[in-house]
Amino acid sequence: MTEPVDASVPVDTRLKDLRPTDALVQILGRVVTVERREYTNRVDGRRRPFLSGLLSDGTATVRFSWWEPPAEGIERGVVLRAVNVQVREFRGRPELSFGFRTRVAPASPLELPPVDGDDIPLRKIRDLGGSDEGFRVEGRIVRLSTRSVTVGTEQRLIHEGLLADRTGSIAFTSWSDFDLKVGEAVRLAGAYVRIFRNRPQLNLDERSTAARIDGTELPQPEEVLTTAPRSIAEIEEAGGGESIALQGVVVGLLPPSGLVYRCPTCRRAVTGGICSTHGAVEGVADLRGRFVIDDGTSSATVNAAREDTEKLWGVTLEEALSRLRDAPDPTLLEEHLFEATLGTRLTIRGRASRDDFGLTVYPESIERTSIDLPTWARGLAARLGS
Amino acid sequence: MALREVAWRVTAHEILSALQEERGTGERAATYLLSPYGARMNRVMIAGNLSAPESIGRDPAQPFWRARLADPTGTVAVTAGGFQPRAMAQLRAGSAPRPALVVGKLHLYRGNDGTGYVSIRAEAVRTLDDEPMRTALADELAQSLDRLDLVERLMREPMVPDATLRSEGIAPVWLRAARESIRRYPSIDRPAFRGTLKQLLPVIEGRAAAPSSAPSIPPSVRVTRIEPPAPKHREAPSASERANESAFLDVMDELADGSMDGYADYRELRQRLAERGLSEDAAETILARLQDDGVVEEPIMGKLRRASALTDG
Repeated sequence: MTEPVDASVPVDTRLKDLRPTDALVQILGRVVTVERREYTNRVDGRRRPFLSGLLSDGTATVRFSWWEPPAEGIERGVVLRAVNVQVREFRGRPELSFGFRTRVAPASPLELPPVDGDDIPLRKIRDLGGSDEGFRVEGRIVRLSTRSVTVGTEQRLIHEGLLADRTGSIAFTSWSDFDLKVGEAVRLAGAYVRIFRNRPQLNLDERSTAARIDGTELPQPEEVLTTAPRSIAEIEEAGGGESIALQGVVVGLLPPSGLVYRCPTCRRAVTGGICSTHGAVEGVADLRGRFVIDDGTSSATVNAAREDTEKLWGVTLEEALSRLRDAPDPTLLEEHLFEATLGTRLTIRGRASRDDFGLTVYPESIERTSIDLPTWARGLAARLGS
Repeated sequence: MALREVAWRVTAHEILSALQEERGTGERAATYLLSPYGARMNRVMIAGNLSAPESIGRDPAQPFWRARLADPTGTVAVTAGGFQPRAMAQLRAGSAPRPALVVGKLHLYRGNDGTGYVSIRAEAVRTLDDEPMRTALADELAQSLDRLDLVERLMREPMVPDATLRSEGIAPVWLRAARESIRRYPSIDRPAFRGTLKQLLPVIEGRAAAPSSAPSIPPSVRVTRIEPPAPKHREAPSASERANESAFLDVMDELADGSMDGYADYRELRQRLAERGLSEDAAETILARLQDDGVVEEPIMGKLRRASALTDG
């Protein structure tokens, strides 16, 4: 690397403020990813190396290309200051180009802008989406759990949960332990959003911060988890939700429903005794129901697991297997399940996501719902003026 | 990818009053019936008393069954054939009239005189106990009133933007249906529908039983309606078009007479017509016109017959 650059005079441009211009800028950022690649020089036709990767200063993440880089390369995680950097635009997003005029020098992580600074915009949960970063968000921890995962040879703990404000809720995962507790109100900064299973998810890492706040205006966990049912059309318009409730009637049953066989390792359904990942396996019998729920405004597919399917059907897995022994036709079981549930009114809570096939609900609870008929009838009579 | 069609909660009267059709375009397009109540129906859900079914199929290899579903506002035909084996089995399961819930798709057949016959092609049928029956009717009544309210509001305030209405939680499919309903039935007497719907109340309140099936399906239903403001004007067919039409029908009849099931196979028909110098496009155009005029029907994809064959049933 070249000699240290005197950074006292020009000011660093925040990565979120980068605009493609002719003027050269000075930036500061941490190397998030980097790889060495080659290109063919147009003048002499020779292959030359260059570095390409992502830089982040907590306000945004930007792609950079470094022509004629130092022979020893740079390491992921290093904080760099670069002077005389060119800003280009690629597919509507700014990119950095380090050319022969650019001076690059290491900098201290302490020089990075504070992720919790007052100049960082405070966002509402409903407005978070896509690949947002460089924001602060306030919310209440509604749910929290830890999970151990293996990364390479290393065991790491990830913290997963749900954060809610009055505008909505968003799932989060954290690789660092912020000692969060359910019910706490926090202001999170330095987080970024990624789409996971068709829903935005908040990701926290070692650069993120979590400050405890008063949060009196934030909803309590039980309010979020016992939200009133909304129409399926509304939930669909909102693109689903982390904690939704809906009420509707079973109008259909999608295959595969009823008795299914699952791979003992990955729990995925096996077809013909073959798991798509683990090959030939001894399938484990299980019950499932893919119910189509309709409330007159739209419909949703509800994927019910064994327990809920048994409850709605009134038939246990053991009973289903014994029926299968009497009449060895699994489609018959599916028909029985449909006949037992068609037209039943259900209230469903859980997570919902929307894709090309419509709304899919991953239920946390499914309850048969009966209507207070006398009250309803009185209301209808009043509307009809009798 | 087309989304699943919503199941409209409707009464028999609403189904019988929906005689305006909207044909979708493109591959596997859905067809909708517009009702004056503000529904744009492809699939419906309806509760009522279901009569014992009768077989109306002429070919034992292609069974087709029909029953009548009666609610306090009217009676509508429910059919199921070999393409809906599950629904057909459920339809056939009842030998006596029973309270039932039916989910199915609407089918409009228009006779030569322009009279419409609507039936429900069942996807699923289930016998209901008393309380679920009353609940289903209450659901129908509540949503029918909601839709009438919406239609009447849009007639009063036609300029309210969709975004405002959607922010109030009104479903996009309801909005579209209500606006289309106003366009198709601009001057129908909607307040009268509330009187019709009132007949559901005694059953919902448990003061009266649901009516059992009327002895027969009403042969026709007439609804006071005004044609849409700017109907597409169709040129009277020219002499050569008429000649092609009659050639089409001649060949179709010939094929139908010679076939086992009484239907003319459309592919075969097109081939024969091609031999006579009629292009596929021309055949398609003629078929569309004959179907619109109610001369020919295609009850099964690719199988054609004279539409009058059904009216004797």
